[in-house]
Amino acid sequence: MASRSEAIDTAAIVRQSLHGRRFSPGGLAFELSLLVMLLVSLAVLVTLLADIISGALPVFRDRGIDFVTSGITLDSATAGVWTGLVGSVGIAIIVAVIAFPLGLGAAVYLEEYAPDNSLTRFIQTNIRNLAGVPSIVYGLLGLAVFVRLVDLIGLGGSASTGGRNILAAGITLAVLVLPIVIITASEALRAVPDTIREAGFGVGATRWEVVRHHVLPSAAPGVLTGTVLALARAFGETAPLLVIGVATGFFSAGSAGLFDRLTGPYTALPVVVLSWSRQADPAFKENLAPAAILVLLVVLFAANTAAVVLRNRYDRKW
Amino acid sequence: MGSRVAESKPVLRLDVRDVASVPMTVTIGERSEPAADHPAIFDVDGLNVHYGDFHAVKDVSLQIRKNEITALIGPSGCGKSTVLRCFNRMNDLIEIARVSGSIRYHGVDLYGSEVDPVQVRRHIGMVFQKPNPFPKSIYDNVAFGPKIAGFEGSMDDLVEEALTKAALWDEVKDKLDGSAYALSGGQQQRLCIARAIATSPDVVLMDEPASALDPIATLRIEDLMQGLKEDYSIVIVTHNMQQAARVSDRTAFFTVDMEQTGQRTGVLVEFDETSKIFTNPGETRTEDYITGRFG
Amino acid sequence: MTELRPHFHDELAQLEGDLVLMGEQATAMIRDSVAALAAGDVAAAAEVIERDDPVDDLYLGVHSRWLETMALQTPVAIDLRLMSVILHVNSHLERIADLAVTVAKITQASNGLPHDPTMVSHLQEMGEIVASMVRAAMEAFAARDLTAALSLPEMDRPVNRLNRNMVREVARLAGDPELLEWGVRMMVVARTLERAGDNAVDVAEQLAFLLTGEFREFTDASHHD
Repeated sequence: MASRSEAIDTAAIVRQSLHGRRFSPGGLAFELSLLVMLLVSLAVLVTLLADIISGALPVFRDRGIDFVTSGITLDSATAGVWTGLVGSVGIAIIVAVIAFPLGLGAAVYLEEYAPDNSLTRFIQTNIRNLAGVPSIVYGLLGLAVFVRLVDLIGLGGSASTGGRNILAAGITLAVLVLPIVIITASEALRAVPDTIREAGFGVGATRWEVVRHHVLPSAAPGVLTGTVLALARAFGETAPLLVIGVATGFFSAGSAGLFDRLTGPYTALPVVVLSWSRQADPAFKENLAPAAILVLLVVLFAANTAAVVLRNRYDRKW
Repeated sequence: MGSRVAESKPVLRLDVRDVASVPMTVTIGERSEPAADHPAIFDVDGLNVHYGDFHAVKDVSLQIRKNEITALIGPSGCGKSTVLRCFNRMNDLIEIARVSGSIRYHGVDLYGSEVDPVQVRRHIGMVFQKPNPFPKSIYDNVAFGPKIAGFEGSMDDLVEEALTKAALWDEVKDKLDGSAYALSGGQQQRLCIARAIATSPDVVLMDEPASALDPIATLRIEDLMQGLKEDYSIVIVTHNMQQAARVSDRTAFFTVDMEQTGQRTGVLVEFDETSKIFTNPGETRTEDYITGRFG
Repeated sequence: MTELRPHFHDELAQLEGDLVLMGEQATAMIRDSVAALAAGDVAAAAEVIERDDPVDDLYLGVHSRWLETMALQTPVAIDLRLMSVILHVNSHLERIADLAVTVAKITQASNGLPHDPTMVSHLQEMGEIVASMVRAAMEAFAARDLTAALSLPEMDRPVNRLNRNMVREVARLAGDPELLEWGVRMMVVARTLERAGDNAVDVAEQLAFLLTGEFREFTDASHHD
C-alpha cells in the first residue's frame, strides 16, 4: 500500500509541475503589435492598388486592349502606352544582354578564382556600396559617358537625338543593376556547398571543370532569380532616364525599323506615367496614368512568374 | 579471401622450436612477416603543415604500403585529416596552408614544382566524411571523373565495374539515371567510393567515411574496404578506434602537443601494425588514448 | 589527463579485487589442509573441503562478469591483456583451491593409518612454500612487480625437489604394508602440492605477460631442475 500511495503522490507532483500555463501579457502584446504592423502594411498596399485600379478601370472598360496598342498622342481619348512598353522592353533586353554575362563573370571570378585577400574583400565591399548609390548618379554617368559614346561610335541616330536613345539608356541601366547581379550571383555561388567542389577536385577535375560542371548548374536557379530581380529594377527606373534624355512629350516612332527604334527617340513606361501625371487634361492624370501603372505592374508580375517557372525547371531536385 | 585476411593479420606467433630445452614464447602483436611484399607507395619524411601562423602538423614521418589499409587515429586537432589531405594535395585548395618536408609517391616528390595537383588527384582518389554525390544521376556521378580524364573505352562498362566494386551495382542497376540523392546515406557513400575508384586510382583516401552512417551501413563500408585493398592502397582517417582496429593493417596514432609557445600542434606518436597498437602499444600515450585514460 | 572510462576501469579493478580475495582463500586452504594432514585432524580437513564452495562462487562470478565486460566494453591494449590475465588467474586460483580439497580428502581417507614423521615434515615444508608462493604471486600481481614475479620459479625449485625425493622416501617404507599404503597416499599429496606450486608460477607468468606484452613460460615443459 505504501508504495502505491507513493506512486499517487509522484503523479500528483508531476501533474502540478506540468500543468499551469502562465498568462504572459508581454508576449500577448508583442504578438498583437506584430499583427497590427502586418495589417497596416497590407492596408497601404491594398489602398494603393485599389486607387490605381479604380482610376484605370474606366480606361480599360472603354477602350480595352486598344489602350495598350496605341502610341502616345496628346488626346486623352486615343493616347496609349505602346511606345513606352516597347521602349521599356527594349531597354530590359539590352540590360539583360549586358548585365547578365558581366555580372555572372565578375561573381564567378570573385567567388571561385580570386584569392581571399584584403583587395578582394575591398572590391566586394565596394560592389555592395555601389548597389546603394542613388540611381540619379548613374543617370549623370550615363549622360556624361554612354550618351556621348553611343553618339561617337555612330549609333547616335539623328542630330536631334544625339545619342539620347535606347542603346544609351540600356547601357546606363545595365551598369545600374550590375552590382545587384554580381551580389545575387555571388550569393548563389556561395550557397553551393564546398563538399560539391571537394568532390569535383577529388576526382581530378580542374577548377574550370568544377565550376562548369558542378558549381554553375547548382547556382543557376539563384543566379537566374537575381537577374530577373535586377531586370525588374531596371524596368521601373525613371530618374536616370530623365537625366539621359528620354522623350517626355509626344513623338512619333511611326513604323520605324529596328535600327531606327534603337537609335531614335524613345520613352519608357515609368516615364510615360510621370509625364501623364503632369498633363493639364485631368483624364491623363486620373485615368490614363493609373492605367499605365497597371500595365507596368502586369509586365513585372509576368516577369517574376517567368522567373519562378524557370527556376523550378532548373532547380530539379536531384 | 577469408584465409587471405587471416594470413595477413596473425596476432599470435608461436615459436616452439624445441619443447624439451627451450622455453615456449608467445609474442602478441608482432609479426615476423617482412614487409617486402608490400612496398611503400608513400614515403613521408619530416612533414610539417602550417595554416598561416598555426603549426597544424609537426615532423611527421611514416610510410604507406601498397595493398594495405593504413588508419590514422587520434583526438580532435591532432592533424590526422591534415596529413591525409597532403597525400592528394587537397591542402592546395586552402590558400593559407603551407606544406614542408617531403612526401614521395613511388619515389616522386609529390610537392615538386613539376607536379600538377590535378593529375595527382586522378591517381589518388578521395572519399569524404559526409557522402557528397554530385547533384546528378547515379551514372553521371561515376562517369564524371573518367570523362574529364579523357576515358575512351566503354563508359557503361566502366560505370558497372566501379559500382560492382563498390558493392552497389545490384542495388542501383535499374535506376542509373535516377538521382544520386534518392539513395540512402550508406548507398550514397558507396556511390562516392565508386566515383573515387572509377578513375582507376592507385590509392583511395578516406576521411572518416562512415562517421555520418548508421552501424549497419558502417559495417558494409568496412567490409567493402577489405575487398578494395586487393586492388588499391587505402588510407583512412577515423574517430572510431574500433573501426581502425577492425579494418586496418597499420595504425598511426597522432596526438596534440603543446608547443613551448603555448600553441597546439599535431604530432605522430606511434606508427605500427594495428595488431601491435591494439594489444601492446609501444608508447604510453598511445595506450592511454586507446584505453580511454586520456581526455 | 582525464579518465574517460571510469566505469569500465572500476569494473576491471573489482574483478581484480575478487581475484585477490580468491588468492587469500586459496592460500589459507593450502596451509590449513596441510596442517590438518599433519595433525591427522579429520574435522579440520572437512572444514577445508567446505571452504571450496565460496571460492567456486567467486570463480563463477568473475567468469560471468568477465564475459559481460568483454562483450560490452571491447577492451584494448593493456586493458585487453589484463582481461586475458584475469581469466587465466581466475582459473589457476580455483584450481589451487581444488588441489587443497584433494589434500583434505586424502587426509580423510588416510585416517587411522600409521605415518612417517620425516615425510610429514617434508610435506609440511612443501605446504608452507606453496602457500607462500601463492601469496607472493598475488602480491606481485597487486603491486605489478615484475621482479617479484620472476622470483617464483626459484621458490618453486625446493617444492619440485621435495616432490621428486618422495619416491625414495616411500621406498624406505616398503617393509610395512600399512605404512606403505600411507606412503603411497602421501606421494599423491606431494604431487598435488607440487601442482599447486606450478599454478602459482603460472599466475606469475600471467603477470609478466601483463607487464611486458610478451608471454613466456618461466620454466620449460619438462620441469627438470
